[in-house]
Amino acid sequence: MQSLDAMHGDIVVLGCGNILFGDDGFGSYVAEYLQNSDALPKSVAVINARTSVRGILFDLILSEQRPRKIIVVDAIDANRPPGEVFKITIDELPLNKIDDFTFHQMPTSNLLRELKEYCGVDVVIIAAQIESIPEVVRPGLSDALAGSVPVAAEEVLKLCNRSSERVC
Amino acid sequence: MEELPRIVTSICGVCPWSHHLASAKACDAVFGVDIPPAAKKLRELCNSIAYTEEHILHFYFLSGADFVMGPDADYSVRNVIGIAQKVPDIAKKVVRCRHLGTQMLEIVSGKSIHPVTAVPGGFSKPLQPEERDKMKPMATEVLELAKFSIDFAKKEIFPKYIDAVKTLGVIKTGFLGTVTKDGTMDLYDGHLRMMQADGSYEDFEYPEYTDYIAEHTEPWTYLKFPYMKKAGGFSMNLENPKGIYRTNTLARINVCDRFATPLAQKEFEEFRNTFGRPVQNTLLYHWARLIELLHAAENIVRLLDDPEITSTDIRKKVEPRAARGVGCVEAPRGTLIHDYETDENGMVTNVNLIVGTTHNNAPINMSVKRAAMDNIKDGKYDQGILNMVEMAIRAYDPCFSCATHDLDGSIPVKVDIVNAAGEIIDTLCNL
Repeated sequence: MQSLDAMHGDIVVLGCGNILFGDDGFGSYVAEYLQNSDALPKSVAVINARTSVRGILFDLILSEQRPRKIIVVDAIDANRPPGEVFKITIDELPLNKIDDFTFHQMPTSNLLRELKEYCGVDVVIIAAQIESIPEVVRPGLSDALAGSVPVAAEEVLKLCNRSSERVC
Repeated sequence: MEELPRIVTSICGVCPWSHHLASAKACDAVFGVDIPPAAKKLRELCNSIAYTEEHILHFYFLSGADFVMGPDADYSVRNVIGIAQKVPDIAKKVVRCRHLGTQMLEIVSGKSIHPVTAVPGGFSKPLQPEERDKMKPMATEVLELAKFSIDFAKKEIFPKYIDAVKTLGVIKTGFLGTVTKDGTMDLYDGHLRMMQADGSYEDFEYPEYTDYIAEHTEPWTYLKFPYMKKAGGFSMNLENPKGIYRTNTLARINVCDRFATPLAQKEFEEFRNTFGRPVQNTLLYHWARLIELLHAAENIVRLLDDPEITSTDIRKKVEPRAARGVGCVEAPRGTLIHDYETDENGMVTNVNLIVGTTHNNAPINMSVKRAAMDNIKDGKYDQGILNMVEMAIRAYDPCFSCATHDLDGSIPVKVDIVNAAGEIIDTLCNL
């Protein structure tokens, strides 16, 4: 079971991206890393959404049991040093970057905004600066991004643990 | 070759099951293998479950707000959140049934997204009797929602919008869909039927699609324009179109002679008696979609009641060879064609895909033009009018993730705004 039960976690982590296109698959690799981590709190559900995040977000919006926080992990091109991991919110998402985020599915950024604004779900994006996205199918991360997988996973875990402390 | 059914699920991720199954069928054809009957039934079961998820998503989430909130409603409420607030009990049922669909796919195949269980030669995991028994009440609940949905739409939705149904985005085209040998609509297997706008048609096998379909390109879009090859040309002229055909729900209901499941057949008969054949009204895609939803839900129940569904004879051995294989399924958004060629080692040497939304590229453009010409008068428009134009697009349930041919994540667009005399008065560009 990978998605249904996970929807009802207190915190849901969504690993997004296409593993067939190099650095674009970063979020998926972070999700895999977290799923194998002993440090993951039990109240956190990790979904390796890859390129199918849209349907998951639709269902989360209409679900009665929404998570308190959604952490999206994805690769973007924000003109930073390749491999840099940084946290942004939906509000901080530059308008000219929406196309980058919507590469996976067009309405994704709108759905995240609706989750935040109308459903009261805290949405955080852990992003990594890509080195490049290949024009043809080429699985595997660049060295810069491969080294950033544990870094991003650690950022996610910090967010989860901080969030859990606040609840307590 | 055997990697392709797993690779293609990442082409976009919106309808991974359709690509997964079309690819597996193309691989079967390349390897020259007839898969065991139980494997075919398991694949069909997954296809039907995925269909219910997709059609529920489109009717309630993607197009429902136009009808439930009204086309003139402000964008801030004409969305999925608005639906949840206006009809909360229905929204709960919808979410629950989509969850049940996900759960059923996970039971049958281990994964609901990015599936891996359809393999060349069959299916990799048998369905256990206890798993089937667990799924049966889920399938019944999804069927109840499907029955409710078409009743609800026929009573509360379609009568209010009958004028729009008659006029909005109506164009005259041919149609393409899949039927069995006796003309029964089939979402998983059969042969292709190409219908002319006058209702005459020809049936052909998958590998012959290149005799019936050609592709046209335009410099202003990444999306190709398939057209009927035998028309001898391509034109989107509204008054005199050439080679244009449509796929997806309206096409499937037009080309078929009957449905295989009783409740869907009853609805099909009412639809055909009311609207005739072929139907050209674009908004009737929605009505046809709900009949298909009913059929898919009935089909899940039917397959789970079939004793053979738990057979362990589900896979045949395959050996690499140099060959060409074409696999097709009806994806929710239209006929999906996977055409592969391999060398003697089973290595892929050529691939061609034609996907659902690509077939509908020309019709969508024509319906938008028709809707805009009919609704925008003297250059005056408002949000309601513009949304009416968008409704003509949404009827087709388009998805561009796998239909376009650009993958760098940005969409370079240049838009010239011209006045009635054809003079450019403004240009918007993000290049």
